[in-house]
Amino acid sequence: MRLRSLTLRLTLLFWIASTVVLVALGYLVSRSVQMHFLEIDRDELLGKVALVRHTLAKIETVDEFAAMPGRMDDALIGHPHLGVRLSSPDGALLYASPNVSFPDADFPLRLAEDQQSPPSIATWRHGDHYFRGTMASVPTAFAGMPRANVAVAVSINHHIAFLDTFKHSLWLTIALSALLTGVLGWIAARRGLRPISDLTAVARNISASRLHDRLQVDTLPVELTALALAFNDMLSRLEDSFRRLSDFSSDLAHEFKTPLSNMMMQSEVALSKSRSEEDYRETLYSGLEECDRLARTVSDMLFLAKADHGQVVPTIEIIDLATEVQELFEFYDAFVEERGVTLARQGSGVVHGDRLMLRRAISNLLSNAVAHTAPGGQITVSLTSTTADVITLAVENPGPSIPSEHLPRLFDRFYRVDPARQRSRGGVGLGLAITKSIVTAHGGAMSVSSDHGITRFEMTLPARTRPGS
Amino acid sequence: MKILVVEDELKTGNYLQQGLTEAGFVVDLARNGVDGLHQARTESYDLVILDVMLPGLDGWGVLRAMREEGRSMPVLFLTAKGQVEDRVKGLEQGADDYLVKPFAFAELLARVRTLLRRGRVSEPEVLRVADIELDLLRRRVHRAGKRIDLTAKEFLLLELLMRRHDEVLPRSLIASQVWDMNFDSDTNVIEVAVRRLRAKIDDGYKVKLINTVRGMGYVLETPGPD
Repeated sequence: MRLRSLTLRLTLLFWIASTVVLVALGYLVSRSVQMHFLEIDRDELLGKVALVRHTLAKIETVDEFAAMPGRMDDALIGHPHLGVRLSSPDGALLYASPNVSFPDADFPLRLAEDQQSPPSIATWRHGDHYFRGTMASVPTAFAGMPRANVAVAVSINHHIAFLDTFKHSLWLTIALSALLTGVLGWIAARRGLRPISDLTAVARNISASRLHDRLQVDTLPVELTALALAFNDMLSRLEDSFRRLSDFSSDLAHEFKTPLSNMMMQSEVALSKSRSEEDYRETLYSGLEECDRLARTVSDMLFLAKADHGQVVPTIEIIDLATEVQELFEFYDAFVEERGVTLARQGSGVVHGDRLMLRRAISNLLSNAVAHTAPGGQITVSLTSTTADVITLAVENPGPSIPSEHLPRLFDRFYRVDPARQRSRGGVGLGLAITKSIVTAHGGAMSVSSDHGITRFEMTLPARTRPGS
Repeated sequence: MKILVVEDELKTGNYLQQGLTEAGFVVDLARNGVDGLHQARTESYDLVILDVMLPGLDGWGVLRAMREEGRSMPVLFLTAKGQVEDRVKGLEQGADDYLVKPFAFAELLARVRTLLRRGRVSEPEVLRVADIELDLLRRRVHRAGKRIDLTAKEFLLLELLMRRHDEVLPRSLIASQVWDMNFDSDTNVIEVAVRRLRAKIDDGYKVKLINTVRGMGYVLETPGPD
């Protein structure tokens, strides 16, 4: 059986443990009391045997022997709980006190040759009385019968009664103790586990709007500290993700709203009065441009959303990065020439990946670099393999340094170093985010540095050795 | 050239029909998959433009039924679903092309013409449009008898514009055909490249052949008779 409740489980375990200990203790106590009484009874019996031995030692003549039962009776006056039986070595009954009958099995009239003292002790019941007795062979001073078999019994009713009461109260105490430890165990478990319910209460109160709440780690037991720390870390990550998501949503809404409101406004203005054909055409063209921007944003967003869910599975083929870069240079050739910028390439490298996606990633870096390079500048794309299994593609361009606080967020969606310049170019700020998604999907990483007038974007990709080498 | 458009979205269907009709095609419009399949069975078309998500019978179903009956006309899928697996599924089931919504009409027109041109290849050695002569074998270009020097990419660009003269070619198609760049670049690389080509082809000539169609792309136009 699997216990669902930790409190119940702890209570049960605690209760079982304490009950086992209590029962063992009760057993030991009652057994040692019993042994103690046995010891007392043995001492008493041996004393009585000595008494009889003393009486018999005085019998020396036939007359005295004949008078023995009477003397024994006299000797036993005042000992109502004592029973004595005498028999001769050949088994004839010589004397028996009236209040006891000895069981034959343990007390034969004729004692075996080797059965001398100290004898074993037996316990039996006669009527309402419990007896404990022993038997011994005792020497006499009478010449006709040098030894006599003596059986002695004492009533142990008071011991038995005491033991019964004692055991009764002992086991009652144990049972109550067990019950009490069960209840106390339950209380202790509940109290001990309270930090967990506190934790639960805090966790229950956390919602998207209250993600800044944290668990108080310093007041928690050590066992729960690691859990609470992990929980807090999770909250921090969630808070960060939520913040990004909410920034992102407002950016996204802005990106969508701007072209939509442009289109609505220009359509309404155009329709507000009769216009020339040229004006209508202009309105439609302008609307088309806004649509184009919207469509591009949507498809970029879709790409990023798929990348977020790991759905961008690159088609794996062998790609010579130097060739790709060269082809991109050809693509950008006229463009950079017009801007008075030159392109240079160094090194080589081969990776496995998706050609289309990698081209797109590098192209974004290149267009970014071109946009931030003043005429006369040179953009350098270098391919290096610093270690055997990593290829680094770096795109360097001269230009004003990007303040360091912006660097970690450059790959965020819609992030712009200068918000005022936001719509001066065609892009909406998703290029670097897409580049990062592509590189991540290829198992690589992106980084950026910017100082001393050089901005350097680096993508590291897992290298593949050239086939056949 | 007769085209069947199967599209349930009211506006999309109407504008497709209007746009394609104005581009010189005969266009039938079906509003759902069942009607579409019926049309495809009863009449003969040179091309079917098929939406994927349709009421009744979806685009896959229509295509499957058509192919099972041995109808081999080219099929172009229009869909809002742009997942790679959808694309693969469409092409595996015998679609000839695939366009993801939202798309530019110029792009659709360019692809429609490509599909219709397929299989009717008569490769000329020299392309002639107006007074431009493009010699494919010797890689030479003359306008009005005067030699023009072009780079390799400019030559490819001019060849594309001439082969598809009078068609508006979207930037994405040009990037894909000339530079093998199959993604939208947010820079105006194509614009600059076309501008430079135009400077070489049109500057100094009275008739400007290469024209920009704002918001759509570029076209090499045959001058009118005037």
